Amino acid sequence: MVNGRNVERRTVLKAAGATAATLGLAATTGCGGDGGASADGTVTIRYAWWGAEDRAQRINKTIALFEKKYPKIKVKTDFQPYLDFWKKFNTQASGGNPPDVFQNAIGFLRKYDAKNVLLDLSEQAKAGNLRMEGFRAGLEKFGEIDGKLLGVPVGSNSMALVIDKPVYTRAGVKPEQGWTWDDFDAAMKKIRDKTGRAGDSGMYGVMYLYDLYLRQNGKAFFTEEGLGFTESDLADWWTKAEKGVKDGLYADAKKVAQIKPKSAVAAELAGGEFTWDNFTVRYTSEGKSEYGLAPIPTTDGKKTGQYLGSLMLSASKRTRHPKEVAQFIDFMVHDPEVAKIMGYDRGVPATQAQYDAYQPTDEVNKAIAAYEESLVKAGVLEPITPHPNGADICESAFLRIAEELALGKRSVDEAVKQFFTESKTALGT
Amino acid sequence: MGTTVTHAPALEGLSQDSEPRHGPVKPGRPAALKRRRRRENLAGYLFMSPWIAGFLLLTAGPMIASLYFAFTDYNLFDAPQWIGFDNFSEMFGDPRWRHSVQVTLWYVAVGTPLKLIAALGVALLLAQSRRGQAFYRAAFYAPSLIGASVSVAIVWKAIFSDDAVVDRTQKIFGIDVGGWTGDPDMIIYSLVALTVWQFGAPMVIFLAGLKQVPRELYEAAEVDGAGKMRRFWNITLPMISPVLFFNVLLETIHSFQIFSSAYIVGGGAGGNACGPADGSMVYTCYLYVQGFENSRMGLASAMAWMLLVAVALVTAVLFWSQKRWVHYEEGAR
Repeated sequence: MVNGRNVERRTVLKAAGATAATLGLAATTGCGGDGGASADGTVTIRYAWWGAEDRAQRINKTIALFEKKYPKIKVKTDFQPYLDFWKKFNTQASGGNPPDVFQNAIGFLRKYDAKNVLLDLSEQAKAGNLRMEGFRAGLEKFGEIDGKLLGVPVGSNSMALVIDKPVYTRAGVKPEQGWTWDDFDAAMKKIRDKTGRAGDSGMYGVMYLYDLYLRQNGKAFFTEEGLGFTESDLADWWTKAEKGVKDGLYADAKKVAQIKPKSAVAAELAGGEFTWDNFTVRYTSEGKSEYGLAPIPTTDGKKTGQYLGSLMLSASKRTRHPKEVAQFIDFMVHDPEVAKIMGYDRGVPATQAQYDAYQPTDEVNKAIAAYEESLVKAGVLEPITPHPNGADICESAFLRIAEELALGKRSVDEAVKQFFTESKTALGT
Repeated sequence: MGTTVTHAPALEGLSQDSEPRHGPVKPGRPAALKRRRRRENLAGYLFMSPWIAGFLLLTAGPMIASLYFAFTDYNLFDAPQWIGFDNFSEMFGDPRWRHSVQVTLWYVAVGTPLKLIAALGVALLLAQSRRGQAFYRAAFYAPSLIGASVSVAIVWKAIFSDDAVVDRTQKIFGIDVGGWTGDPDMIIYSLVALTVWQFGAPMVIFLAGLKQVPRELYEAAEVDGAGKMRRFWNITLPMISPVLFFNVLLETIHSFQIFSSAYIVGGGAGGNACGPADGSMVYTCYLYVQGFENSRMGLASAMAWMLLVAVALVTAVLFWSQKRWVHYEEGAR
């Protein structure tokens, strides 16, 4: 209120000016995130990944190497834990502002290809900015979907049973290639009885393990379009789980929930956990014990159903610097020095050059190399299960509903029904 | 979230003041007066324009957009598809949604009264004049300043997990229920405790209300031999009932909107966002999951509007009920 004084034109102008300034300020901060090229031709690219502190330190070292070799490219980084990473990525991508280059996995290729987010890197490969030769075990094909190169593998990994070695030794359990689920169940009992610790952290909720179990029986978790198993299959799997939790073979789900994001094995709640073999690196930094890798139990004494999985690097379609991004990926997958820094943190390096460059000297990494070699030798590796659009939502629903079952909040029938309802929505079937 | 409430009890006072005050109006031609007025108005609007722009762009616009999305299938990437009321029928048929409604109603029904009782209790203590009064008031208000922050929620989670302070204290007394945050039935109690602990804002309002109660009423009652309880029930409570009503209204609406504390205590980094077995899955948490984890913005928008309608209904019921229990002094209204 101006209380009777004549409002001067100047006042009006001042108000207008202030407003314009405020709005202008808001506008500049609003689009501050855009990476661009500066006057001297220096280009900034944004790189995001999921992982823990340990991985971040390694990656930052590799980026320093990259920036030394390519002084005109600057890399801005960002990382979160797995689930948070994808929430953030999804939001950024939908807003048209995804990172230029980011860590990716098979479960997300179709999803983000369908949403038009991923750059087809084959053009950059043709232009010579990204070498797609020199990969091990056919890994160069892993990121190809419908003839498009959507991801470049940085390492290969495989599902394994990560065990707390001293616990297994104390229980007198020695898992061998080709052991069966009956052997596994007996081992769980032994561990519980002799060490007082649960044998496993919660295998019934690990989608990738159930996938292996289904593959051992001629099925798979996914087909190209939808789920590859029936409600009664899942009811069998979870009935066994319910009993195992009750009997103390599997860790107390309540305790497991509370120590997240720390793993149940590192927190000494369980003797082992089915997860990716490269996770032993993380567990070793998290926990006090010594961790090793055991083979996946089988149904028929031979077939484990395993395949090589892989973390990849993908580029976003909206990047303004496809060439620099391709050079970045090329450097990260081929440079021998990078391999020496990363170790097996993201799996066994994908290219032969990097594989040869890093000779593990510590027990943990030696064990990972030996494990993957043993898989190749045993000839158990098979082609990967397809991951339709929506696979990631099914994975987290599977984990969550299994947890509810273990906590006694749902009966097996309810849990199965809920999972099928949610997956059908997610997969659009 | 759909509704925003500011702690500003002064709305009523405004209406008498809003007539623009002018200085002594010089006798002049009406046209010049009009022009001057118009210019005044223009200046007023211009000064307000940052707020108006913010309101239109950041509040009104998104609200209208979300109303539209509520009737569409929208995954953020593809253009929204009109699907009518499908989102709403899916919502009602979804057991997880019904569970989240249950959790929220429970939280509101238990947390809000407890918080108000705590606020009133402390206000009664602080209303008596004593040494260091200002210090006590500030000290009791402090948790409310920091209570809504992310860091407190993280600390809260640490306090209530297995083998932490609460668990160990319980064990001293022979109660062995373990940590609360990992227990699907107990985690909601830790959220209730968090909201009760933040009683500062309603406490300050109660304090103001208590100051307004005329002393002579108490004196007269005392002369008539009324005891402490009697004085509280028959004088204090009726006299502060308008303030109580205001607090009930505000805190109820506030409780319906609980999000960040539930999200962090229930999950936070790397876990299920809604607590073990959805134990702390309040309404907005599920809304977040549908919108940002499952990329179903249409459904999430529908849920947000449903919440708005529910809160509006509850508010209407509260307003309707005040006739029965809120006592306004003659002429005070």
